[in-house]
Amino acid sequence: MNMYAYIFRRLLYVIPVLLGVCLVIFVLFNLVAPDPAFTLLGKHATQLQIAELHHELGMDRPYWVQYFDTVKTAFTFDFGYSWTSKQNIWEMIKAGAGPSLSITGPLFVIENIFAISLALLVAFYRGKLVDKIVLVLSIAGMSIPSLAVVLFGQWFFGYKLGIFEISGYERGFPQFVPYVILPIILYVFISFGGETRFYRTVILDEAYQDYVRTARSKGISELRVMFKHVLKNSMIPILTQIIIQIPTLILGLLFAESFFSIPGLGAMTINAINNSDFPVIKAMTILSAVGFILFGVVTDVLYTVVDPRMKLK
Amino acid sequence: MTSEKILVVKDLVVEFKTDRGTIKAVNGVNFDVFKGKTLGVVGESGSGKSVTALAIMGLIPNPPGRVASGQIHFNGKSLVNIEPAEMRKIRGNKIAMIFQEPMTSLNPVFTIGNQIEEVIELHQPHLSNVERRAKAVDMLRLVGIPSPEKRVAEYPHQLSGGMRQRVMIAIALSCEPDILIADEPTTALDVTIQAQILELMKKLQKELGMGIILITHDLGVVAETCDSVAVMYCGQIVESADVKTLFNHPQHPYTKGLMNSIPSFDSTSGHKKERLQTIEGMVPSLFDLPVGCNFQDRCSSVTEKCRGSQGEPTLMPAKGEGHTVACFNPLS
Repeated sequence: MNMYAYIFRRLLYVIPVLLGVCLVIFVLFNLVAPDPAFTLLGKHATQLQIAELHHELGMDRPYWVQYFDTVKTAFTFDFGYSWTSKQNIWEMIKAGAGPSLSITGPLFVIENIFAISLALLVAFYRGKLVDKIVLVLSIAGMSIPSLAVVLFGQWFFGYKLGIFEISGYERGFPQFVPYVILPIILYVFISFGGETRFYRTVILDEAYQDYVRTARSKGISELRVMFKHVLKNSMIPILTQIIIQIPTLILGLLFAESFFSIPGLGAMTINAINNSDFPVIKAMTILSAVGFILFGVVTDVLYTVVDPRMKLK
Repeated sequence: MTSEKILVVKDLVVEFKTDRGTIKAVNGVNFDVFKGKTLGVVGESGSGKSVTALAIMGLIPNPPGRVASGQIHFNGKSLVNIEPAEMRKIRGNKIAMIFQEPMTSLNPVFTIGNQIEEVIELHQPHLSNVERRAKAVDMLRLVGIPSPEKRVAEYPHQLSGGMRQRVMIAIALSCEPDILIADEPTTALDVTIQAQILELMKKLQKELGMGIILITHDLGVVAETCDSVAVMYCGQIVESADVKTLFNHPQHPYTKGLMNSIPSFDSTSGHKKERLQTIEGMVPSLFDLPVGCNFQDRCSSVTEKCRGSQGEPTLMPAKGEGHTVACFNPLS
């Protein structure tokens, strides 16, 4: 069938994209980033020690060999071992995925349901008081720096009121629950504004179309006009916005995990960058590139489900 | 024409609040609609035809618009200040409407069957799924869509403009309304398709006996389909009569102007007889209406009287039964 051919063709794009991603991270790492030997050995390493380490890490080989190595990693997904912790990277990813998903999963669901419902509400009462109140809150959420929100939240809810854990993590359900509540609440506040504004615009774009007038002329209630006719037509931009978030769920929240001392993939990536841990950086970059391509294809396929006019060729 | 009066519109005023002040898009309109008859409402863009229709449907966007005064009576029931839930039972059921833009008036993501069934489900909830589908197919057959069993599962984008307008008519008529409001139903269609759609509406009117309000700017369409005509200008009716009287003895210079704007052809040679005439000037802005008659600046038979001292002309009986005209200096 046509659609499978399309999916296959789209997946072939992974090849040039990965080659490009490899080139970019390789160039950045070798030409821009500091020599990892300094980070790994400290300030007082001798020339000999540095040379030995370079040899051990394979950094004394010609550039093209090293680049080929990177490419090989990208296509085999054999990421090897971390330079700093000497752990197998797949093991590290497995260990970090749980904590990351325990925050990003609920955050993703709550935030999108919250933002879409709120957007439907304000689109329904456009121009009225609710719309204006939500507008003010959204702009506040968008413009207050996220670091300020996090620090205030930790101080107020964690220290002053003492109702949530300020930071830390405990593995296993339900032990982790108290640790993830505060970050989820704060990050819903940080991101709902932009999302709500976006969904509101998308929904209002549809709310003034001719077919909406036709639906009203049938005697349908406003609520049904909104939820049946308008929402289904707004689904394309909404789906795109939602699905493109999924790969970032797996990557974890880069900074939030550090703020809340959560041992997830985001914190792992930040640490790897600080320590010039090239194999870990490589692994996370390649995984996110593949994730974005994969979910791009998923979005395209879902388009054909919501919009009968779409045909994948 | 002793037919049952089903809709009475009396002194209807519709206002819109804008940044530049409040305007009266419809200003004191009166007309009646009779069972099985067609009323044509004619006028240029912005004359208040569509707003009048939306007011009857209770679909004036509020804010900024509202029915400021006047009455709309449908089978003795007032539609002004009616409960929204009550109005929804009438809308699509007793009074239905079709629109100018068949290309965009159907929802692109639902099948046409689904869109016909939606209105049936709403107003005839006792029907089962199977009966509803059967009725949708019947409606498509009624409006002349070939192989309706197959078409019912198709999406709007798979149909041509003319076919989509037929689907709109099918939706509008599926609850057998007493009144069909058709807002420029053929304006966006090819001329050959226009004739088909008008023919279809006439045929269905005979079968179902509904009253039709046909809104158009095309007097040619009016001559072919309507029983009576109301000519609108700047939110007011300036002349109204039965169709024969109006065409044979137009009294308002504006009506005459509209008639002269219809291209005429010599029936023997097929060539145009003369250059097409137009009405000079533009419709005045509703923010800035002249004192006196609204048509004074474009009128060929304007007099001093029209320019203010006597105020606006009101609809007065003219020669011929039921013929009224709002003009200080009507054509003889």
